[in-house]
Amino acid sequence: MSVEGMVGLSEGEKEFIKGGIAQDLRSDGRKRHTYRPIYVETGVIPQANGSARVRLGATDVIASVKGELGKPSSLQPDKGKVAIFVDCSPTAAPMFEGRGGEDLSAELSGALQRCLLGSKSGAGAGIDLSSLVVVEGKVCWDLYIDGLVVSADGNVLDALGAAIKAALSNTGIPRVNVAAGAANDDQPEVDISDEEFLQFDTSGVPVIVTLTKVGKHYIVDATSEEESQMSSAVSISINRQGHICGMTKRGGLGLDPSVILDMVSVANFVSRQLFDKLDSEISAAEADEDES
Amino acid sequence: MAAKPGAASTTYSPIDPTNKTRPSIFTGSDVDWLRPDSRAFQQCRPAFFRTGAVNSAAGSAYAEFGNTKVIVSVFGPRESKKAMMYSDIGRLNCNVSYTTFAAPVRGQGSDHKEFSSMLHKALEGVIIVETFPKTTVDVFALVLESGGSDLPVVVSCASLALADAGIMMYDLVASVSVSCLGKNLLIDPVLEEESYQDGSLMIACMPSRYEVTQLTVTGEWSTSKFNEAMQLCLDASAKLGEIMRSCLKEAASATQE
Repeated sequence: MSVEGMVGLSEGEKEFIKGGIAQDLRSDGRKRHTYRPIYVETGVIPQANGSARVRLGATDVIASVKGELGKPSSLQPDKGKVAIFVDCSPTAAPMFEGRGGEDLSAELSGALQRCLLGSKSGAGAGIDLSSLVVVEGKVCWDLYIDGLVVSADGNVLDALGAAIKAALSNTGIPRVNVAAGAANDDQPEVDISDEEFLQFDTSGVPVIVTLTKVGKHYIVDATSEEESQMSSAVSISINRQGHICGMTKRGGLGLDPSVILDMVSVANFVSRQLFDKLDSEISAAEADEDES
Repeated sequence: MAAKPGAASTTYSPIDPTNKTRPSIFTGSDVDWLRPDSRAFQQCRPAFFRTGAVNSAAGSAYAEFGNTKVIVSVFGPRESKKAMMYSDIGRLNCNVSYTTFAAPVRGQGSDHKEFSSMLHKALEGVIIVETFPKTTVDVFALVLESGGSDLPVVVSCASLALADAGIMMYDLVASVSVSCLGKNLLIDPVLEEESYQDGSLMIACMPSRYEVTQLTVTGEWSTSKFNEAMQLCLDASAKLGEIMRSCLKEAASATQE
């Protein structure tokens, strides 16, 4: 869903956008499968366990990860819990004030949960939930991942996916010392260390690629003007092995199944470049953070 | 619940696209999964549809797939208080709710908060909104009993209700979901299979136009498995589309008599 109604385009501008995409030359000079320059900063929220800010052109999002000790669910006692919430700030668009941004927030949260947390049995989860457990069945880490959309210029979902990946690689889970000799039924005493931190393993976290179909062609990383001209969009989350970890069609007109399969192969191709770019940006950001 | 005698067959199974026997390779903890209702892996539940379930609505439909029972009413095109702006195309408003007794544990519905927006996305590409400008069509779905594969049943039932209401559409929408358990692909999963699944794929498509209006994938899928699952779903949707069409024809011929 794009922030429609904000972008007033004349008929000429609409034709220009569609024609440019058909000729593989978009309004800002990019090709169809090129991303805008990505800037990643980590550690922007010192009070959180991990945080990151990602800028994708004019789209600006912040992701923060906070962990609290909690009790694992009875259905899965050997796994921690992760909750993902997205908030669209009114600074991005005036219509997000109050409850206006709720629909978009719910859609983004749902798409991110599907891509990063996998199915109910935990298979295909990008985040290894069993690394979050402290005492099986009794104490585990509850991770709250919050995304904030500060400025929206299209492709918010991809930016949020990248921000969450960066925030998770920045996350340090404090070491927990469990008091030995606790009775079986009682909650064991835990001591959260302030000094030692365990880095989160983000090698399995997938990256999200949104392909927007305009006319007969698909583009990657659409700006909000291009999104207003879309006929439909599909967001695909792909991990390093090239497997699909989640996929959502984001509304619009119907798509031929062969188009969907083609989109998957394009997303596969684009995701490899995106992985490399993101990894280099994240390590550069962490290096910057260490120096400052 | 059986269909009337002489009606078209209500059970449908898609053609297995791989066309070879599936090797029974299971990882250590998996056992040979026997489906609770002893269906084959590629066999869908018998589908029962009835339109005209709610008299006061412009159109309505009731669907029963095994233990999943859904009723959908359509109101409109009518004026909407929510729509403040003038719009020269119609608006669609969808709402999916669960009764408190729908789930095995009272009050504990599945994560159906996003079902309303997913139903909206599945239908928005099919309804010809230019035919009812300035007005809104409301689609209210109520899941009476949740027996697995809820959203696909809701989508199929909603498109029948819209047809019953006379809202112009490009085609009916048939929806099917596939669950992945280990190496097996199970079509039209029940609640128990959904809780053990490693991944799921839900497709809503227009059978005659062969276009997909909504697609959601969870879990990890390789491209070939995804391809196979998608073909399975499309084939099943085509057959489900025929059953929906015959239900509409029956209802139309019944009113003519």
